[in-house]
Amino acid sequence: MYAIAVDHGGHVSGGGVFRPPGRRLVNEGPHAAGDAFAEMIAAIAVRADREAFAALFGHFAPRLKSYLLRLGAEPALAEELAQETLLTVWRKAATFDRARAAPATWIFTIARNLRIDALRRSSRPTFDDDPFDAEPPEAPDAALAIAQSETRVRAALAALPVEQAEVIQLSFFADKPHAQIAEELRLPLGTVKSRLRLAMGRLRGLLGDLA
Amino acid sequence: MSQPTRHPADDLLLDYGRGVLEPGRSLVLNAHLGVCRACRAVVRAVEAVGGVLLQDLPPSEMAADALDRALTKLEVGTAAPAARPPQPSDWIRIPGEVVDAARRGRRWAAPGVWVANVTGDARRGPRSYLLRVAAGMAVPRHTHDGGEFTCVLKGAFEDRGVVYGPGDFVACDEGVEHRPRVTSDGECVCLIAADSPLVPRDLIGRIFQPFVGI
Ligand SMILES: [Zn+2]
Repeated sequence: MYAIAVDHGGHVSGGGVFRPPGRRLVNEGPHAAGDAFAEMIAAIAVRADREAFAALFGHFAPRLKSYLLRLGAEPALAEELAQETLLTVWRKAATFDRARAAPATWIFTIARNLRIDALRRSSRPTFDDDPFDAEPPEAPDAALAIAQSETRVRAALAALPVEQAEVIQLSFFADKPHAQIAEELRLPLGTVKSRLRLAMGRLRGLLGDLA
Repeated sequence: MSQPTRHPADDLLLDYGRGVLEPGRSLVLNAHLGVCRACRAVVRAVEAVGGVLLQDLPPSEMAADALDRALTKLEVGTAAPAARPPQPSDWIRIPGEVVDAARRGRRWAAPGVWVANVTGDARRGPRSYLLRVAAGMAVPRHTHDGGEFTCVLKGAFEDRGVVYGPGDFVACDEGVEHRPRVTSDGECVCLIAADSPLVPRDLIGRIFQPFVGI
C-alpha cells in the first residue's frame, strides 16, 4: 500500500519540469490529497515506482472510466482509454509540473486528449503541441496558487448559485447539446445558456489569478 | 510578444477545455491559445474544474485484471518528447499539425492565394485549412454556411471596419455577410475551421474566377 499524504513537496521556486522535493514546505490543508498524488507522480518520475502507479491507477482509472462513459464511449473503449491515460501518466511523469496544474487536472487533460485522438483516429495527436508549453516559468506566488487550485476550484464551485452549479455539473462531462440539457432540467434553452455563461463568468472571476 | 485583441467567447473556451469541440475548431483555438495569456488562464481554470469534477465522479468498475495488465505494460526509461517541427519564423507559434500541413499541401488556388488542408476531408464534413492571401487583396462579399473560426497566423486583414492581426480569433456566425481585405503591408495567413465543406473551394472559385478557371 502506498503511503498517502506523508510527504509535502517543495514547490516554492517556479518553472521547469520536475524538481525533486528539496526544501520542505509544510502545506497542511484540504489539498493534501492532491499533494499525495503529486508525490506519487514524482515517485514514478524519479524511481519508476510501481506501487505509486498502482495507487494512482486505483484512484483514477475507475473515475476516468466513468468520465469516458458519460461522454458516450463504449464500455470497452472507456476501459482502454482509462488504462491508456494511466500508462501516459507513467510515461510522462517527468513532465508533470505541480506548479502548473493539480494532479487531477493534469490527468483529466491527458484523458481528454486521448479521447479526442481516439475519435479522430489520427496518427498525430491533436494536442501534442500543448499551447501551455510556450509559457514562461511561473512566479513563485502564482505557482503556489496553482498548486492549491483544487481547493480553490472546490470553493469557487461551492460559491456558485445552486442552479448555475447544476448546469456546470450536468454539462461539463456531457458531449451533448445544450438543448438536451435544457430538456433534462425542464428549462428553456435560453435559461440554460445564460446560466452557463453566468457560471463561467463567476468562475473566471474566482479563478482569474490561476493565470 | 504582444497580446491578441480579439478572443474566443467564454463558452468556446469552456468547450475547448472540456474537449468537445470539433477537432479543426479545436486547432484554431489551440493556435490562439499559443499566444494568448488571458485565454490560457480561462482554459486552465476550466481544466481545473474538470480535474475536480473528475474526482467527484462515482467510480466505475474496471475489469478484474485491469491493473495487472497495465503493470505489464510499464516501461522503464523515458522517451524523449517529439521535437516540434520548425515553423515559419514570422508566423505566430502554431501546432505541429499545422506546420506539417503548411509544408505538405500548399495548393495555389489563384495568383497570390494558396490553400492547405489541415484536418478533415477537403470535400465533405467539417475541416480546417490554411489560407494565404497576398497583400492588399480583397475577398468579395460572401456568407458562410454553418459558421467559421479563424485565427490570424501572420499579417492582418480588415473586415467591416475591424483590423484582425496576428493571434486574433474571429468566429463568424452562420449567414453573416462579410468582405475581408488583406492589409497592404504584407501577406496574410489564417487558420480557418469551417463546417461547410465546399465553402472554401466555392469561395476561392468565386473570388478568383476572373484569374483562373478553378
Ligand atoms: Zn485570447
